[in-house]
Amino acid sequence: MSNYVLLNNSAHKDLRVITTRSESYGDNVMHAMTFPIEFRDVQSSYPIFFCKDSESGQFYPAALFGLEQNQNLFLTEGGWDASYIPMMIKRHPFLIGYQTDPEHVGGKKPVVSIDMDNPRINDSEGEPLFSDNGEATDYLKESISMLEAIHHGHEHNKGFVETLLEHDLLEAFTLEVVLNDGSKNQLTGFYTIAEQKLHELEGDTFAMLNKRGYLQAIFMAVASHSRLRPLVEKRNALIL
Amino acid sequence: MTPDQKINSIVIVGGGTAGWLTAGIIAAEHSANGTAINDLVDVQITLVESPDVPTIGVGEGTWPSMKSTLQKMGISETDLIRECDASFKQGTLFNGWKTGGNDAYTHPFTPPHSYASTNLAPQWQKFRNEVAFADAVSSQNALMFQGLAPKQISTPEYAFNANYGYHLDAGKFAELLRKHCVDKLGITHLKANVIAINSSADGDIESLQTDTEGHIAGDLFVDCSGSKALLLGEHFEIPFCSRSQFLFNDTALASQVPYTNSDDPIASSTLSTAQTSGWIWDIGLPTRRGIGHVYSSAHTTEDRASEELLAYIKATVSAEAASTTSIRKVAFNPGHRAKFWHKNCVAVGMSAGFIEPLEASALVLVELSAAMIAEQLPANRQVMDLVAKRFNAKFLYRWDRIIDFLKLHYILSQRQDSDYWKDNIAASSIPESLSELIDLWRWQSPWHRDTGHIDEMFPSASFQYVLYGMGFETQSSTTVRRSDREADSAAAGLFRENAERTQKLLASMPTNRELIDKITTYGLQKI
Repeated sequence: MSNYVLLNNSAHKDLRVITTRSESYGDNVMHAMTFPIEFRDVQSSYPIFFCKDSESGQFYPAALFGLEQNQNLFLTEGGWDASYIPMMIKRHPFLIGYQTDPEHVGGKKPVVSIDMDNPRINDSEGEPLFSDNGEATDYLKESISMLEAIHHGHEHNKGFVETLLEHDLLEAFTLEVVLNDGSKNQLTGFYTIAEQKLHELEGDTFAMLNKRGYLQAIFMAVASHSRLRPLVEKRNALIL
Repeated sequence: MTPDQKINSIVIVGGGTAGWLTAGIIAAEHSANGTAINDLVDVQITLVESPDVPTIGVGEGTWPSMKSTLQKMGISETDLIRECDASFKQGTLFNGWKTGGNDAYTHPFTPPHSYASTNLAPQWQKFRNEVAFADAVSSQNALMFQGLAPKQISTPEYAFNANYGYHLDAGKFAELLRKHCVDKLGITHLKANVIAINSSADGDIESLQTDTEGHIAGDLFVDCSGSKALLLGEHFEIPFCSRSQFLFNDTALASQVPYTNSDDPIASSTLSTAQTSGWIWDIGLPTRRGIGHVYSSAHTTEDRASEELLAYIKATVSAEAASTTSIRKVAFNPGHRAKFWHKNCVAVGMSAGFIEPLEASALVLVELSAAMIAEQLPANRQVMDLVAKRFNAKFLYRWDRIIDFLKLHYILSQRQDSDYWKDNIAASSIPESLSELIDLWRWQSPWHRDTGHIDEMFPSASFQYVLYGMGFETQSSTTVRRSDREADSAAAGLFRENAERTQKLLASMPTNRELIDKITTYGLQKI
């Protein structure tokens, strides 16, 4: 379970965060939420699909790391073997939360929280959060700017997904993977860009998608399908 | 009308759920919303509704068929849940029907596991003292007893983990349908009172004379005017066939009861609790419960029936909530018209007939009637008589089957605590078609070929649920059958699969209330 508290430079001055990637730190996830702002980097390593949040049923784009639950085929003994790690993975053990903004009525202000139960946290190993005089280290500054990007990414995703649904541009997708040993894996519960619908769109709609910054994201998601084959090959490589 | 007169214009009289459902179902098939394709014309649909007649809120429970009915009309399920105070219904939970004590069983919407190929009923008979039939063969039984939903928030609109229909506010439902029919399906809505009916020389209805909209002409008239049956009954004088010799209930006391707390659980089945001279329905909507007592006025008084109803309400909600209850009395004659389609007029809804809502058959009959009108819409006046003949035969058959199936619930009861229950098992009160089936089922369990038609309203699975839920015993076969041996070897595996599926659903389904709340907040996805 997680135990998030607001980060501050006195209570947390000695904390360090282990940035090594491994199963023992909870990196064995099958997929993670991603955002159009990082699609360019994500699509170079991972297939991008869409899935539904189990609590709300709302769609979000996700980078796929494995073919079944708790399987991350990019995790090796030497860490996470890819040129880019999605922000929602890298953010741990931090989380962006929201507090009522005293300066704006009804406003919410993003604040940084840290998960005190996260196994990455300790006071001897890894990246320090604060310098001796209590200032944020470069590591923490980077983490905070990433959290801000995630914050904007959530907002952007909402509009992106709404627009895709409005134009029927998402469709269900079932992938049957037959491995070299003959065993079958079926990926269900994922959705992808409905390419046929995409090609039938009117010029005005294309212009709108482009103006809102969605068009490039759509085509990068489509292009990311080519990352499926290397993923299956990684899985096949595990067969003895 | 001349025999070659094309049927291009349909006039529906009455704007309750029956009228608007009929309009929507026909329009979903026939209306291109004013756009003529080549030189084909659109069927024009007009619904005329009296501004003075209040609609009767019957039929707050639907069958699973309502999902595809609404989907075909293009209505969003999210809108239905949000705008009609609707919740999910997975069948009926019967309390006290067997002995009048604490006995309970369900009639779930999902047929027994593997029902297409294997009859588990004879296999279950061996364990009848250890496990309830519906529990052994269906995972829905457990969902119903625990008030869980049939799907999750991530399940798309109209899709499901366990099949379902709805409980809904009939008034709000009619309003949603009206809006959709007028705005999306191109139906003309007129508010006027019909003051006279103009006939042509051959006796067909030529037009309706109204107080504020002049004459409304049409080729086919659909009577959805409720129990007064303005066209089929008052105008054409098609006789009414009372069926009170089989089904005694003829009066309902209906009430709307608030929840004690606004987040109290919403039952995911209709609760039907047997009383001394009738039974009480209890339908959970998100914001209130609809509770009513339907009884036989020949067997009890309004005062006694009302006492039983209040006792039920007081036992289920706080005294404060119970004290706000007002009771409305509705008397009805159980039965139907001798025929439903006469000349160029067809009756749908209460104008065709009405019977106690024990299996929520009112709205599904509207759907089936409208669907047949839509599908078989006669090309011209001449062929209409043939369609009418077939329509009448089909729906007379359906009324007989509904009566058989409702009566089944009564004749299996062991209750002897009132004349009502004793009279219900008198041979003279049981349709011959039903007593024959009972004799048959003593020796063999209901199975696919029992039923006469492929589009039977109550499939053999429904009979199994009620028979074995009520404790009926079918003798085991004394001869060897290949199908029995096959079922025998498959049974253990199927029972185990069902148990596993049940556990999985129990662990993953939200409560009915949780799901409704989430739909209110997030909506359901269309894919």
